[in-house]
Amino acid sequence: MPREVEPSLNEKQFFVKALEENLRIDGRAFDQYRELDLEFGDELGVTDVRLGKTRIHTHITAEVTTPFPDRPFDGLFTITSELSPMTSPFFEPNRPSTTEILLSRLLEKTLRRSGALDTESLCLIAGQKCWSIRADVHVLSHDGNLVDAACIGVLAALQHFRKPDTSTEGESVTVYTLAEREPVPLSLLHFPYCVTFSYYSSTVEEGETVTLLDATLLEEQLREGSATIGINRHGEVCQIAKLGGVPLDAVAFLGCVQIALVKVKEISVFVSKRLEEEAKKRDKGGLMAELSAENDRVS
Amino acid sequence: MPLDTSTYSLALLRLDGRRWNELRRLTAQISTQASADGSSFLSMGNTKVICTVTGPSEVKAAPGASGRGDEAVVSVEISVAGFSGVERKRRGKGDKRIYEMQTTIATAFQATLFTHLYPRSTITISLHILSLDGSLLATCLNASTLALIDAGVPMRDYICATTAGSTSSYSSNDEKADPLLDLNGSEELELPFLTVATCGTEDEVSVLVMETRVQVGRLEGMLAVGVDGCKQVRDILDVVVRARGKRILEGSQL
Repeated sequence: MPREVEPSLNEKQFFVKALEENLRIDGRAFDQYRELDLEFGDELGVTDVRLGKTRIHTHITAEVTTPFPDRPFDGLFTITSELSPMTSPFFEPNRPSTTEILLSRLLEKTLRRSGALDTESLCLIAGQKCWSIRADVHVLSHDGNLVDAACIGVLAALQHFRKPDTSTEGESVTVYTLAEREPVPLSLLHFPYCVTFSYYSSTVEEGETVTLLDATLLEEQLREGSATIGINRHGEVCQIAKLGGVPLDAVAFLGCVQIALVKVKEISVFVSKRLEEEAKKRDKGGLMAELSAENDRVS
Repeated sequence: MPLDTSTYSLALLRLDGRRWNELRRLTAQISTQASADGSSFLSMGNTKVICTVTGPSEVKAAPGASGRGDEAVVSVEISVAGFSGVERKRRGKGDKRIYEMQTTIATAFQATLFTHLYPRSTITISLHILSLDGSLLATCLNASTLALIDAGVPMRDYICATTAGSTSSYSSNDEKADPLLDLNGSEELELPFLTVATCGTEDEVSVLVMETRVQVGRLEGMLAVGVDGCKQVRDILDVVVRARGKRILEGSQL
């Protein structure tokens, strides 16, 4: 396996020197995100998130399957993430790297374990038929902070997605096509977003730790510790993952959680604004207007 | 299957009869395996772990594959015994949860050990989980600390870990919720909890993992209780290490 190229000594020294002067290489403030852009695909449940140069494509699909025998009333919800060699030559297909495993674990913990998607609403016939919702996360370009971007992508896609309407009569389920009946949105209980902090301690003066938000790839490679906090805008912490790294004062960490809450509120507002704009663009005034053959009059 | 922890508010005693700030029985032995460079056996309640440390030794794989040139690389292997849980279960190697724990332990010690003293070498920590009853990551971290001390790898300070929970579920907003220290397996299933590891006697948090939903206001209490528990763990581990040191000194005088 080819090894990831480490930043050169020059790059490292330049970065450290800049950090000592309270500067980041791309000129952002320490707690500033890169420009966030969210685009929706033509299909429902397709999103394309850009966070600076990081780009993540998410696709939601639904199909009818049988539920697990031990959970007959719950539908299935799976998140699969893929870091292909397209992203970087250091990722091999079919051999998950540490980055990929940690990414999928964090998404799993933030979105699935916290119960963001109401899986009980996906049940069609108890123990026999249920919806299986699958989120495919494809990283198209990796420039740091994959977790935050992927989380935004999946949540936006879940809100954008509509599953076909169904009706149940006794033991038989009818699934209506998109033309027959208006598809229905998924039932989401809350919206937990992730905020990742990067810590640098040995670069600056003794006993001081610099905290950066939304690190780029270079900043990620040089960091000495990181913490990902999954939190929703109501202040419910869904997951914290500070997996080793440089030790951090407990009080300072609680400060990070407060910062994360502020950031998540901003992200929530941005995503719902984009979803509203998208809904307006799609809304052609109901099915009748869509089926109408009349041309727009040019006056 | 929900357990009945509602009796807690009546007597302020938990399912196993402890109060909120009591640790389970923590026993530790150091230098249990003669063949390993360093080893330890640690049990927190019914969670039991054997840890062996190999190294610092030369990188075995092809050079450049994993070892960084200028410092030692810490690698961790965890194996969960089939008989560790209530049901006998074979656990595969591809478990992402175990992999995450391995990386957590490795990166935690990478930052605490003086790895720069051993360029081009690896330190392998292997953990064998014999019995599972909650606080798994915490037990593994404590056992690794002892085994690394036994192996004589220089480190800044002990990494000590515990879990801390809260008696209320995430939804209920009751103010009376107490933080709890060192949860056992059945409490972990039901209550929100976090695993915290500190480095040294200061409140320096090295590892903090939480996988359950909890109100942000409750976090402070849980973290405070957890950090305090880590200090208790540190005292216990310190006694074990000093007793071992004393024995070695007595042996050398003969």
